[in-house]
Amino acid sequence: MILLALALAVAAPPAMTSDADAPRGPRLAGAQLEARTNDVGALLRCPVCQGLSVTDSPATMARNMKAEIREKLKAGYDQEQILASFERSYGEFVRLEPPARGVNWLVWLGPVAVLLAGGAVIAWSMRRRQGAAASAPAAAEIADLPSRDALPDDAQLAAAVKRVRTLAYGWTDGLSPSSQDPR
Amino acid sequence: MSEATSNTAPARINRNVLIGGAVVAFPLLAVLIANLGRDPHAVRSPLIGRPAPSFSLVPVGGGAPVTLEALRGKTVILNFWATWCVPCFQEHAALIEASRSLSGVKFFGVIYEDAEAKTREFIAQRGSGYPSLMDPEGRAAIAYGVFGVPETFFIDGNGRIVEKYVGPLDGSTILALAARAKDGVR
Repeated sequence: MILLALALAVAAPPAMTSDADAPRGPRLAGAQLEARTNDVGALLRCPVCQGLSVTDSPATMARNMKAEIREKLKAGYDQEQILASFERSYGEFVRLEPPARGVNWLVWLGPVAVLLAGGAVIAWSMRRRQGAAASAPAAAEIADLPSRDALPDDAQLAAAVKRVRTLAYGWTDGLSPSSQDPR
Repeated sequence: MSEATSNTAPARINRNVLIGGAVVAFPLLAVLIANLGRDPHAVRSPLIGRPAPSFSLVPVGGGAPVTLEALRGKTVILNFWATWCVPCFQEHAALIEASRSLSGVKFFGVIYEDAEAKTREFIAQRGSGYPSLMDPEGRAAIAYGVFGVPETFFIDGNGRIVEKYVGPLDGSTILALAARAKDGVR
């Protein structure tokens, strides 16, 4: 959202390609004309509405704009020529999709850049964690360590260790639950 | 753990966070400060300084169509209005007054989304110092990038838009902007 606002705030002015230029598209009629009118209208903001496209808005202004789109398509103007003609009157604001030019590239490429940066941070932190794991005791060393249920040979000392385990961990008879598992 | 490591470890983390935060925060802060005085709803018209869109509109009550081309060489004030618009009613007297006092300036009203009968009735009751033009399909309004009414365009003798004013005008603003339009686009 911030990137979008930023791009709209400082967007480059539209190029002055006049729709007085020759029509570049085919002259449309019938059902195809209606469908294209709705398509192009969906790319334009209704200036008197709150976030509605020209196609979706029931406002008189939107109806008038739609009539103008229809007329231009009939005359053979293509989508970009029509969008540019409205942009000359209302500014880039009238386009619901900011065109990929100037600062607007931020809107299109910003999310990709943020995603890549996030991926890089994750990769970096994973590599760091792997490095830390490598310096940790190896599996063989861990296998050499006494098990959690190991007890000293001295019976009195063993009983004391068991009591401490019962108190500290709540293990019955000072034995870990895994060692009591019948499996 | 030696004292040196316990001191340097947290300092390095803080510096990274600080740089990362600054990289994100400073550009956003700059944009915020640069735009503090701006009205977030105001969209600057791309037409300012550019040739005013041409039109050919019939006056209320009929008659020959008025075209912008025929007005070349004169300062033109084009006021988009409607009878249902309260701010238009507020500025009505100031516009009539200015149209009488300013010589060499042509005033025109353009009716925005309103019926001719209602407009005629309004003018009959409250008077008018200049012609108002019907814009039945809103073509002129769209060409001038009108968002609502009242909106007023100040056009110089070369047919270029010097200024667009959104909202009800008062006498002194009309005089000031008309003087700028007389000077023309620089």
